[in-house]
Amino acid sequence: MATLDVVHVLGSRLDPDLAEKLHGLSHHGTIRYLELETADTARRRLRATTADGLDVGIMLPREERLFDGAVLHMDEESALVVRVRGERWLVLMPSSVPEALELGYHAGNLHWRVRFDEGRLLVALEAPAADYLARLGHLAAHVPHHVEGPDERREVS
Amino acid sequence: MQSIELSNEAPTAAPAAARIGIGGPVGCGKTALIERLIPVLQRRGINFAVVTNDLVTKEDALRLQRSGLIDPTRVSAVEAGACPHTVIREDPTLNIAAGDEMERLHPGLELVIFESGGDNLASTYSLDLVDWWMFVIDVAGGDDIPRKRGPGVLRSDLLVVNKVDLAPHVGVDLDQMLADARSVRNGRPVLATNARTGQAIEELADIILHAVLLER
Repeated sequence: MATLDVVHVLGSRLDPDLAEKLHGLSHHGTIRYLELETADTARRRLRATTADGLDVGIMLPREERLFDGAVLHMDEESALVVRVRGERWLVLMPSSVPEALELGYHAGNLHWRVRFDEGRLLVALEAPAADYLARLGHLAAHVPHHVEGPDERREVS
Repeated sequence: MQSIELSNEAPTAAPAAARIGIGGPVGCGKTALIERLIPVLQRRGINFAVVTNDLVTKEDALRLQRSGLIDPTRVSAVEAGACPHTVIREDPTLNIAAGDEMERLHPGLELVIFESGGDNLASTYSLDLVDWWMFVIDVAGGDDIPRKRGPGVLRSDLLVVNKVDLAPHVGVDLDQMLADARSVRNGRPVLATNARTGQAIEELADIILHAVLLER
């Protein structure tokens, strides 16, 4: 099976020089995408595989990191670009201040990654939503919630 | 066709050392596993160092430094001053600095192992600190640990169930415990070890070195 070792990030697909070369390859070559979870972009050492079966071994210096659009390889025939899968969020909608306080306490106590959006608490999902809801106990039954993200069928509880 | 010269060639300098984390509750056998790993990694020619984390002492580091297994300068300690999970997850600055110092002291270092207990089953490593991490539990801690679905059990790259020789002595159905662990981890790997006898330590080294691209 084909393998590719990556030892540094060449730049962003938006960098003018790289963008021009990627444009050329889109007509006369192959652009591969390496799909990664958001959390995995923090790793400097990582094994991953492209959709067409190219095994990629990443060994970055600590001052570099992966990001959406990072160009990992480019030659006259092909390029490899990181595509970060969109984050999935558990959206919790407290209907009272006491509910919001209790939700905030649990989210902090459980060290969840969160963001706030006009009274909604959004929790970044790194595991099935059911695992997160189980930690909320009775709140999960009372607080309306759903999951948002790419390819997510919106399910409101 | 236009000229394209930006291939990802090997750098002139050696790549930075890979960094891994070993977490788990106090007493699960983290230090004992490292003591077993040390000779295996040495035999495989891996240039490595260890950073330990303790609450207010350097107990784990001193144990390794006095073990005779490893050059004592390749072991350093971070005193968290609080529950150690704070310095591997919330703010790993002290550990990052300790890893950097190890790389400075030992040119060509390939691997830094960070060991930390703390926060019982909720301890997790920041991926800003490590590239890969494993969580260690032991059968004597109770066969219900996997079913408690702690973040360490669920999110680690590898779950190690240690002290498997004790299962019959503490009334644990090891097969069921391992099945529960695999069930809650959705396909992520689980490894049963015994640091006392060395059971599965070679396999553990295989998994670590493959994950961080240090296979020989």
